[in-house]
Amino acid sequence: MQPLLEATGITKAFSGQLALSNVSVSFAAGEGHAVAGENGAGKSTLMSVVAGILKADAGEVRLDGVALPPGDVVEAQRRGIGLVPQEPQGAPTLTVAENISLGETPAGMSLLRVIDRGRLNEIATNALKLAGVDIRIDAPFGSLRLADQQLVLIARALHRGSRVLILDEPTSSLSTREVERLYEVVARMKASGRAVIAISHRLEELRAMSERITVLRDGKHVLTRAFADVTNADVVRAMAGRDVTSAGAPQRAASEDVVLEVSGLGSARVNDVSFKVRRGEIVGLAGLLGAGRSRTLHAIFGSEKRTHGTVRMGSGGGAVEVKSVRDSLAYGMGLLPEDRRGQGLVLGQSVQTNVNLVLPKGGQRFGFLSRPVLLKTAKDAIRELAIKASGVTAKVATLSGGNQQKVVLARFLRADTKVLLLDEPTRGVDVGAKEEIHRHLEGMAARGLGLVMASSEIPELLRLCHRILIFREGRIVGEMTRAEATAEGIVALAAGVLA
Amino acid sequence: MSRAGARILLGRLAPLLGLVILCVVLSLSSPHFLTADNLVNVLRQSSVNALLALGQLVVIITAGIDLSIGSILGLSSVVLAMQLRAGVPPLVAVLGTLVLGALVGLLNGVLLTRLKLPHPFISTLGTMNVARGAAMILAAGVPISGLPAGFRVPFNGDLFGIPAAVIVVAVAGLIVHLLLERTVYGRDLFAIGGNREAARLAGVPVSSRLELAYLVSGLMAAVASLVLAARMNSGFPLAGTGAELDAIAAVIIGGASFFGGVGTVSGTLIGALFIGLLRNGLNLLDVSAYWQMIVIGVVIVAAVVIDVLRARQGD
Repeated sequence: MQPLLEATGITKAFSGQLALSNVSVSFAAGEGHAVAGENGAGKSTLMSVVAGILKADAGEVRLDGVALPPGDVVEAQRRGIGLVPQEPQGAPTLTVAENISLGETPAGMSLLRVIDRGRLNEIATNALKLAGVDIRIDAPFGSLRLADQQLVLIARALHRGSRVLILDEPTSSLSTREVERLYEVVARMKASGRAVIAISHRLEELRAMSERITVLRDGKHVLTRAFADVTNADVVRAMAGRDVTSAGAPQRAASEDVVLEVSGLGSARVNDVSFKVRRGEIVGLAGLLGAGRSRTLHAIFGSEKRTHGTVRMGSGGGAVEVKSVRDSLAYGMGLLPEDRRGQGLVLGQSVQTNVNLVLPKGGQRFGFLSRPVLLKTAKDAIRELAIKASGVTAKVATLSGGNQQKVVLARFLRADTKVLLLDEPTRGVDVGAKEEIHRHLEGMAARGLGLVMASSEIPELLRLCHRILIFREGRIVGEMTRAEATAEGIVALAAGVLA
Repeated sequence: MSRAGARILLGRLAPLLGLVILCVVLSLSSPHFLTADNLVNVLRQSSVNALLALGQLVVIITAGIDLSIGSILGLSSVVLAMQLRAGVPPLVAVLGTLVLGALVGLLNGVLLTRLKLPHPFISTLGTMNVARGAAMILAAGVPISGLPAGFRVPFNGDLFGIPAAVIVVAVAGLIVHLLLERTVYGRDLFAIGGNREAARLAGVPVSSRLELAYLVSGLMAAVASLVLAARMNSGFPLAGTGAELDAIAAVIIGGASFFGGVGTVSGTLIGALFIGLLRNGLNLLDVSAYWQMIVIGVVIVAAVVIDVLRARQGD
């Protein structure tokens, strides 16, 4: 039997890094098909290629045996592929009815294109009926709850004749009851001969919606099986991949001196997080996208508003409370942000300016910058971290990702830095530079810094960290020492399934 | 009514409420304010700003901005006066002027969408200078005065005691209102301003819609130039200098959002009237022009603060 939708040999690279490598999957009519994988495994990229949002470097997508024009989202929609993104996208100030017809609003034949309100409402009513949901069609889209926005977009896709419906993380922001309602909608769509593709980390929910599952890892296709034939543990193993061995054991054990104590920390997305970091210790934060790792780092640093809890640096009588970014910097705590181009660097400026963005000791006198000190700091940084740049005046925009990250890191290579918070320190960095950054981080720990590192790459955590805290939905749901930690165990805890 | 609905209604009514309060205060403080002559005068004085604001509204709804309308007004008035002085029939001259304004507006749109200039601030800032320079060159830097009655009477006369300028505003307002609320183009503009990516993915032709928005803005500036030239009996190359800022103020005071996706013709006209009444009232109260600037500045910032607070609540 010919599959309804077929993706063959899809390859896609982003600035030289392979996101998808020769992936082939097919989807049958009437089937629910789950696509699973860790962060960065290529799930969303694959779906974007299928939906025509991205153009693949190689491979093709066929619907009913007919190739789709690559990278043409409007044509893909017209032929019957509907994508409902993780964050529902609609025009917030238009009504539900107007959003359902957006892009093909019914109108009179004249050039004036006067909207046919009657048709508009009729289309909306029918579309919502098709999806089997009850939402007021005259409500502004932006006033709807996220779950209802999602259903409106599903209704729109159905109305436009979608035969393949792609749901990207459909349950990530839904309550239990809303998830049940979504299951019903999905079941009806399958019964009417459509294919439903669901991307999610949550295996139980995928199981409820799908008959088959495809697992991707590092941009490669790992398996496609009937869901009934695999256990959740099988899937987790396939997602995490090879048994990751702890390559380099920690240089030396951490001491007992606490340098950072977080107690009962809470913010908009973080709940009751408590842990301690000792001198020379690297603590890893693991979890899925949106589990609250970054938010926790920012709440500790003071760059995100806290609602509960305290953060203290030092131990015993010398402990001080950290309440703001100013405090953090004054007491020697640094944050290496996730988005280094957006939050870490002034791209158009020189290496020297960027290294000294947080002024070193003696960097200013009576408000005037002390050029010799700044120059020396920058030169030291280039030498110590082996930053490949033509000199201290080189613009950071011209450096590679790895060297840019080293420039950010250089800011904290100072005697007064005691705690360093790192958010995805090796994202978008090539393999060689990654090794170097790892060595520098270990070196910093060996010199007595306390490091807290959030990473989506479990192998990296296993290699560097003394302890790993696993986050799910803004809470710490588990802690493992390096000796106990396995990739599978971490994935299972992070996804909320028992391996 | 839902809380969101109540908030939207409040947003719509706030400009009107402000206008009413202003009128009450001014009536109580000056006996000359609440007279038919004075009020008609305010309407006439507000008409040019109202027309510019109508065009600006269309652009601001798309989360854009048009800085060039003051210059388009100046250029249009010069070109209009040159045509009339050369003996071109008034109707042809008027149409020619409207086409010119629309074309300059379209140029703004094309610079933004096809050349992918990063922000309409840049494209319209460029056009603002080019159009002003062109007006100065064409007019050799001086006003072109003495326009034929065949042009002045329709645009500066009265109809049943209502100034022609006010009628022009009413007609233009109705057309822009219908464009925004009743046509596909208008709905698409709101969608683009609310969430451009969503509009694109839903199949809205974003580029051509944006071009239309800037075209309308340029066109309205040309319409404004007709009214102004008729009143001044001249084409003036410096006409409308800084007028884009009053127009933006009127749109924002009228409840439109700088973030896009929100705005009404009724609010914008109220906003223009608000500024006109405020100026008029301050004049009647003998407040110096310098203090007037301060008052208007405070009102604009207050209106934007309200907009920002509203957006934050909406999160």
